[in-house]
Amino acid sequence: MTARRARRVLASALSTIAAAGCGGGSDGANSGNNRIAPPDGANVVAIVVDSGPLGSAGAPVGYVNGAFVIVTVCVPGTANCQAIDHVLVDTGSSGLRLLANDGRAGGKLSLPLPPLEDAGKNAVAECFQFVDGFTWGQVQLADVRVGGEMAGGMAIQVIGEAAYPVPDQCLGLGSDEDTLEGTSGLLANGILGVGPFVQDCGPACATAGSGNPGVYFACSSSAPGGCVETAVAAAAQVSNPVAWFATDDNGVIVELPPVPAGGAPTASGSLVFGIGTRSNNGLGSAVVIPVDDRGTFTTLFPAQGTRYPDSFIDSGSNGIYFLSGAATGIPTCTGSGQIDSFYCPPSPLTLSAANQGAAGAPTASVSFSIANAKGLFDSNNAAFSNLGGENAGISSLNLPASFDWGLPFFYGRNVFTAIEGAATPGGTGPYFAY
Amino acid sequence: MIPMTTNRRKPTSRAWLSTLALVTVVSSMPALAALGGDVSSVQKDRTRFKASLQLSTAAHHAVHELTAPTGTVIREYVTDDGRVFGVTWQGPFRPDLRQLLGPYFADFQQAAKAKRTGRNGPLSARSSRLVIEMSGHQRAFRGRAYVPELVPADIPVDEIQ
Repeated sequence: MTARRARRVLASALSTIAAAGCGGGSDGANSGNNRIAPPDGANVVAIVVDSGPLGSAGAPVGYVNGAFVIVTVCVPGTANCQAIDHVLVDTGSSGLRLLANDGRAGGKLSLPLPPLEDAGKNAVAECFQFVDGFTWGQVQLADVRVGGEMAGGMAIQVIGEAAYPVPDQCLGLGSDEDTLEGTSGLLANGILGVGPFVQDCGPACATAGSGNPGVYFACSSSAPGGCVETAVAAAAQVSNPVAWFATDDNGVIVELPPVPAGGAPTASGSLVFGIGTRSNNGLGSAVVIPVDDRGTFTTLFPAQGTRYPDSFIDSGSNGIYFLSGAATGIPTCTGSGQIDSFYCPPSPLTLSAANQGAAGAPTASVSFSIANAKGLFDSNNAAFSNLGGENAGISSLNLPASFDWGLPFFYGRNVFTAIEGAATPGGTGPYFAY
Repeated sequence: MIPMTTNRRKPTSRAWLSTLALVTVVSSMPALAALGGDVSSVQKDRTRFKASLQLSTAAHHAVHELTAPTGTVIREYVTDDGRVFGVTWQGPFRPDLRQLLGPYFADFQQAAKAKRTGRNGPLSARSSRLVIEMSGHQRAFRGRAYVPELVPADIPVDEIQ
C-alpha cells in the first residue's frame, strides 16, 4: 500500500474513531460476577452454545464448546444487509471473519461488499494465522452490527478461495480453514474476534520490508502468484469491531451459565459490549489480570505452585489445554487418534490454579474440573465445563508450558476482555478480568 | 510488541547452553530442507526467514537459533553428525512450516487434520515419524517438532525446547 492510499484510509479511519468518541465512563452497577445480562439491551447480544451451524447433510456440524452469536453485515451506509448465524465468539483473536457462500467455502455470506483496495486498485486479501492453520480471503468493507451496536465501514475478512488462490507463503503455514466442513473446516459461519488487540496484525503489517510477516497481500490477478505481500496501515487492517463501536467500545463480557458435570446440549448466555459503560456491564467483584502486549499472563499451577507464563484466556479454544499427561499425571484418552491428546481421568478431577497479571499482580484463583473427555464426547452434548487436554511445551525452561483457558473456563463466570489502550473503570486495557 | 528475547526464557543452569558463540553466517543456498536434513539446510532457513543466527554447542548436539525480523525465534537442533533432529519456534507470527519441517510437513498437515474434529485449540500429536506440538493465539505462537528416530539417544526429548 502506498503512503498516499494509506493516509487516505488512515484519515478515514481516524475520522470514524473521532466521531465515535470514547466509550463512556459511567460506573456500572456492582452486580456481582455471576449475573447474565438479558439479551435485550442495546449492548447485549445472545450467545448460544450448541452443536454449530447446519452442514451439508442438514445436521449440525458437531461443534463442541462453541459460543455463537448472530452478526449482521451491511453494505456500508446502506440498509442492504445480511444476518449471519453461528459466528464464533473468540477472545483469542481480533477482527470479524465470515465464511463466503461461494460454492466452495460453504458459508453464509453472499452479500456483495466493497473490497479494500490499495492505491493501484489491487484487491487486498489476507492470510490470517491460527494456531495450526490459516484463513485466506479478501478484505472487504462492511457496516458490522452486533446486537444494538454498529461499527461503520470497517475491514472484515471474507474467507474463501474463489476470487484468489491461496499464495504459496500462506500454504506454508499449514492447512486452510476456508470451508465450513471437511477435515480442517471452520465448523462455524465465521469468527468474531473480540480479543484484547485492536487490529489483527498491528504495526508489523503496516510497514514493508523484511519485518513484514506476510499477513496482508495485494492481488492483481487470480493467476498463481497474483497476490504478493503488502503493507496495510494499522487503521485499515481487519480489526476488533468493538473498538469501532460508537459507544461501549472498550471491551466485552462473555457471560455463560454453569453447566452440569455431564454437559448440556445447549447453553445460553450473553455477549455484553463495554466495561463499566452502563448499568449492565460493571466489573463488580472481578479481578483485573493485565496482559502483556502478546496478550498473555502467568498461570500458577497448583495455585501456589509452578509458574506458567504465556497463558491466556480464549473463548475460541474449546477446552482447557494445559501441560501434558506426563507432567500432570492425568491419563490422556486412548482410542481414536482424534482424542488422544485430551485428558481422560477415570473420575472427574477438581483442580486449582491462579492467574497472575503480566506485571506480577494481582492474582485471581480459579477452580476447575477435568472429566473424562471420551465420556463427554460420547454423550453428544455440546457444552462442557470440564473438557481438557494437553498443551505444548513440556516442562521446559525456554519454551515454557502454558495454560489455554478455553470455553470451559467461561461457564459460571463473567469474563471481561479489555481492549489495548482503552480506558475502563478497572484501568486501561489490555486485560482480562473475572 | 516485545521481541521474543531469548534472555527471558534462557535457562540459567543448562550446561549445554553454556558455550554460546556468535557465528558469522556464510551465504549459501543448499537445497535441503530443515527438519531431518543436513545442517547446511539451516542456512536455507536463515535466508528464507531473513533471520540472524546464533550457534550454541552442547554435548552431542548444537543449537542454531534464528531470529527473524518479525521477532519470531526459531531453534534448530543438530546432531554431531549434522542432522537436524528437532525445531522449535516462538513469536508473534508463525514461521513457514513447509520450509522448516521439510519432508515432515505432510505429517504435520495430517496430524492437524486428524485433530481438528472436536479440538479447537493447541495441536499435540505424536507418531513414530514426528512429534509436533503447537500452541498460542494471535501475536503469540509457539511450537516444537522433532523426529524421534533422529534424536540422539542421550538427549532427553524434553531438551528440545
